[in-house]
Amino acid sequence: MLSFLIRRLNLLFITALILTIIAFIIEKNVVVNNTIIDTSSNNYLLQYFSYLINIITGEFGYSALDNQPLLARGLMFFASTIELCLLGLVFSSLVAIPLGVLGGLFRDTKLDYVIMTIALSGLSLPVFWVGVMVLLLPGVWGDLLPVDGNLSLVYEVPSVTGFLLIDTLFVTDQYGLFAFFDRLAHLLLPALVLSFFLTTEIIRLTRHSMTMVMRSNYIKAAYAKGFSRRKIVFAHALQNALPPIIPQLRLQLSTILSFAMTIEIVFNLDGMGDWLLSSLNAGDYGVLPVGMLIITSFILFFSILIDILMVIISPIMRGSLYANQ
Amino acid sequence: MLINNEFNEDKIQSPLQYIWAIFKSKNIAVVAMWFIIVLVLASLFAPWFFPHSPLEQNADKMLLPPYWFEGGDINHILGTDDLGRDSLSRLFHGLQLTLGGALIITVCVSLLGMAIGASAALTKGIKASVLHHLLDALLTIPSLLSALILIAIFGPSYINCLIAISLSLLPQFIRGSFLAIEQELSKQYIVALQLDGATKLRLFRFGIMPNILEPTITIINRLFTLAVIEIATLGFLGFGAQLPQTELGSLIASSVDLIYLSPWLVTFPGITIFLVIMMANVFAEGLRHAVIEGEE
Repeated sequence: MLSFLIRRLNLLFITALILTIIAFIIEKNVVVNNTIIDTSSNNYLLQYFSYLINIITGEFGYSALDNQPLLARGLMFFASTIELCLLGLVFSSLVAIPLGVLGGLFRDTKLDYVIMTIALSGLSLPVFWVGVMVLLLPGVWGDLLPVDGNLSLVYEVPSVTGFLLIDTLFVTDQYGLFAFFDRLAHLLLPALVLSFFLTTEIIRLTRHSMTMVMRSNYIKAAYAKGFSRRKIVFAHALQNALPPIIPQLRLQLSTILSFAMTIEIVFNLDGMGDWLLSSLNAGDYGVLPVGMLIITSFILFFSILIDILMVIISPIMRGSLYANQ
Repeated sequence: MLINNEFNEDKIQSPLQYIWAIFKSKNIAVVAMWFIIVLVLASLFAPWFFPHSPLEQNADKMLLPPYWFEGGDINHILGTDDLGRDSLSRLFHGLQLTLGGALIITVCVSLLGMAIGASAALTKGIKASVLHHLLDALLTIPSLLSALILIAIFGPSYINCLIAISLSLLPQFIRGSFLAIEQELSKQYIVALQLDGATKLRLFRFGIMPNILEPTITIINRLFTLAVIEIATLGFLGFGAQLPQTELGSLIASSVDLIYLSPWLVTFPGITIFLVIMMANVFAEGLRHAVIEGEE
């Protein structure tokens, strides 16, 4: 276990180092009034080390627009992005995993074709276009769900964790649960739009891994023993088919975040994408390295977390604990 | 000399011909292939046979609906925009940049990615390890972010948008091809080739390449799909094609404000993107099935 952890952390360390070098290059080239690079010496190496030390101590500089600390602002906006991604993931898993399992079980039948058509159209629709079309909905339905902003302006929620869904629960003595439901309503449509793309991915992955499992020898052996199909699927196939999806989905994380940021811009949600875009348009380039470091470090930590989680829950992956390579 | 015209030998088909024969029997996939070919040709030669220039303004005919709606004009089949420019011409002009850019990205990234992936898989040691770490680092930067970075450094232009998208898609492709080749390397026929003393190049050409066709089609298809979506997304955000150029995403962005007045200005570019990706996927899926059946 220890050697496995050390190997993963080693990978994390080197990748993080490369990322800080990229951030340094951006900071050096783009940001006009950088305050966190010590430019008194002309040596790039010394400048990089001063930058690195500043980053490690959490000193990311201040916004040129409102003089707020960039790191705190960025983290607050990023929390809202993560909220959106998580809700989208929940929606799409609810729809996609059953569909994917069905598609894998009844491969090459009419049901499978219907499911794959759904999956394909989810992939083909560009998310920003679906977002724009959804903006038309209030004209059709009336004001059923809000399509603009993070939270209604009547609620004043102090930022404690940055996750608005949790923060609104802290002010229940003031507003009751209304603030929470208002936040949920604001998040619902963007999350649905995001889940279009995610559903496709999860259906494909689930279907593929389900097909592979159903072809394997131990399923044939279970059939030969005379178990019913229902029992085989629920007792044997599912628990072997579902875990391999998670690391596959992890590789898509950066694409998912990229789509989530686009959706934020379309729906005018206060998130990472909106923050980056509006700051860049206003000429505050200092947000770029900070935003990059926040997003990439999130993805890095998340990947390693998933690696460790996979070793814990999946017996097949546990082999990598003992392998020397 | 014996000339035997009566009893012709059966010609043995090459594997590619065999796959092609199977592919031709799949009707939907063939339709999708022709659809894409016609679309590419039409958008290439659009300036020659469309009656209206995409930039020609007409103050008398602004915001016309498609001709099958009340008040439409048969001269403008899909209507006109807020400056009286013909929607259909603009659509094909936009398709030039979106589809053409996506095809260029697909060709460049798949050639480059396959070369890097193969050299990483076939060599060992420091080179492969350095590549792995660099790839891991690049994989964690979302495409939108890398596009923003490149555009902040070099300024927004269509070429920079294409470069940014290629840079963000390249690591994914390298990872895909690397995994496919790695799996192939452990097979016994590869070991047999190696024992014969085949060079790496020969090993790749005759041992690996014919056997990784199917995963390659899948990742190239994915590459194309994401390239189309991302070119349109960057265009929508205003980082792609700059103004005299039109591109499907920027077409949507320019008419978002008019969405209540004339919703079809937003609808048609979106449907076009949808159709392009859908048909490309159907075509690739048909090809993939043909390859699988051909191998069996």
